[in-house]
Amino acid sequence: MSARVSNPETILSVRDLEKTYPNGVRALKGVSFDVKRGEFLVIIGLSGSGKSTMLRCLNRLHDPTGGRILFKGRDVTGIEGQGVLELRSRIGMIFQHFNLIPRHTVIGNVLSGALSRTSTLKSVLGLWSREDREKAMRYLRLVGIGDKAYYRAAQLSGGQQQRVAIARALTQSPDVLLADEPVASLDPATCHTVMDYLKKVNQELGLTIICNLHFLSLVRQYATRVIALKGGEVVYEGDPNSIDDAWFQRIYGEGAKEVHIN
Amino acid sequence: MTQTSIGPAVRRTIFDAFVFAYVAFALYALATNPTEEMLLDLERNAALAGSLALVGAAASLAFNKSGCRTLGEVLFAPAHKRQAAGEPKAWFKTFWGQQAVVTTLVTLVAGLIVTEFSLVALLDRERISQASKLLGQLFNPGWAILPTVVLHMVQTVYMAFVATAIAVPIAFALSFLSAKNIMRSSAAGLATYTILRVIFNVSRSIEPIIWAIIFALWVGFGPFAGMLALMIQSIASLAKQYSEYVEGVDEGPIEGIRSTGATMLQTVWFAIVPQVTLPYISYTIYRWDTNVRMATIIGFVGGGGIGKLLIEYQLQGAWPEVGCILLVVAFVVWVMDAFSAYVREAIK
Repeated sequence: MSARVSNPETILSVRDLEKTYPNGVRALKGVSFDVKRGEFLVIIGLSGSGKSTMLRCLNRLHDPTGGRILFKGRDVTGIEGQGVLELRSRIGMIFQHFNLIPRHTVIGNVLSGALSRTSTLKSVLGLWSREDREKAMRYLRLVGIGDKAYYRAAQLSGGQQQRVAIARALTQSPDVLLADEPVASLDPATCHTVMDYLKKVNQELGLTIICNLHFLSLVRQYATRVIALKGGEVVYEGDPNSIDDAWFQRIYGEGAKEVHIN
Repeated sequence: MTQTSIGPAVRRTIFDAFVFAYVAFALYALATNPTEEMLLDLERNAALAGSLALVGAAASLAFNKSGCRTLGEVLFAPAHKRQAAGEPKAWFKTFWGQQAVVTTLVTLVAGLIVTEFSLVALLDRERISQASKLLGQLFNPGWAILPTVVLHMVQTVYMAFVATAIAVPIAFALSFLSAKNIMRSSAAGLATYTILRVIFNVSRSIEPIIWAIIFALWVGFGPFAGMLALMIQSIASLAKQYSEYVEGVDEGPIEGIRSTGATMLQTVWFAIVPQVTLPYISYTIYRWDTNVRMATIIGFVGGGGIGKLLIEYQLQGAWPEVGCILLVVAFVVWVMDAFSAYVREAIK
């Protein structure tokens, strides 16, 4: 394992990561894995298996209580203040409920991806740089909703809002994109559109993606590698297509049946 | 987890003890018809009330232990103990029901005596005719002073407006510092939150009329003192209400903005401010409307504006002029109220 840390291809290394919440819940119990540049890594597991906590530790929305995270070879577990903000600016994130500002315009939401490189005063006054404006518009076109730039975010459908969220994350020019259940609140058809855009971003921009998912059928279709969490521990790591029924039962529990999304 | 640290049994006992002490003390006072000297003997009365409360607490424990549910038990019992044992009885046949009836009756009787309720005075023919003469004069307003009244009313509306306008930015800034969801992340934040909340509650509980007296001594009688009094009250009241809106915001956008690497101030501006702007505007207009009504009262004690005019004519017994002022005040309050309701409805 330790040899892989020095591998230049490794963008993120997680070692023995622990997270115990103040109420005593142990969400992560020594999780270790590596992420290679350009991967589409999917994390699967039941609700409460620690998937969301895992992602939020990577960009320090949550503080881990043990273990180490190496981002591009640098230990980011103990950093504070400005360091955390810089780390987050390098790691984009999208969420199950999109987490946009509903009353702001679509383009305004996308531009908030440029907050970390805009001074507080300029951002409050809305004085975004020309580059950032162009970049925001470019990514909005990339996810196919350039024509909706001046709509309010709340006027868009769920799938469109998630695409705005992707554009916001891309505007950060991140090294890694975290996706926490990006399609869990979308209908099956829209679900594939959003996943296809993530795949496009992964393949065309070469962006590394770490994505939490529920549905195994989506995992097989999009993931290049998969990790399964159960009770805060890694129980499977490998090729998505080698998850057979036996593995499925072990990850999701006895008697679980696979549901397909088409 | 809930914030309450006091168990339901303790709250029940305290409540029952208080109610028992109150009823017993009131009955004792009614029965003995005490002299003023006795009523003013605070030490003796406190000792008496204290011992009655102890008796009440003991009685509460004894009754509840024997299965007789007291008023405190009915009010504070946790949900899982709410199921009454055995056949449900009509409320007035239960112990707690009778306890409630006795408490209410004793309070009513004591209240009538304390407020010196007197049917004789109320129905006295001569006094009725005096009062109706006054009412007649009030409803026959002296319109001659209308221009002066309007001028003073304008002053009052501006007093209220300036007080609100100065209070808004201050309250806006303070509202984030006194919102628990923003401040709870650090010990220093929590301390700031607690201190600000205490200051708001203290300054809100001091009536603006008291602030007006203080400021009248400080900056001299007039509209400036009145405006300052309204401003202090408005800052505390707006900041408290604003911060409650901040505490009620959706956490999702906050997480979304934080994940981009935004600073604390950027997160507040981009994730929280858009969510609270409309409720802020709505409550601010309501506050301005309230300030216009309060400005009238504040004028009484040297705050300037229409209140000053009102107290001057009232002291002279110039009732038609007082009537004119009251009608103008009523009209402006009605217009403000309708205006604020209209605007708040429109931006909802």
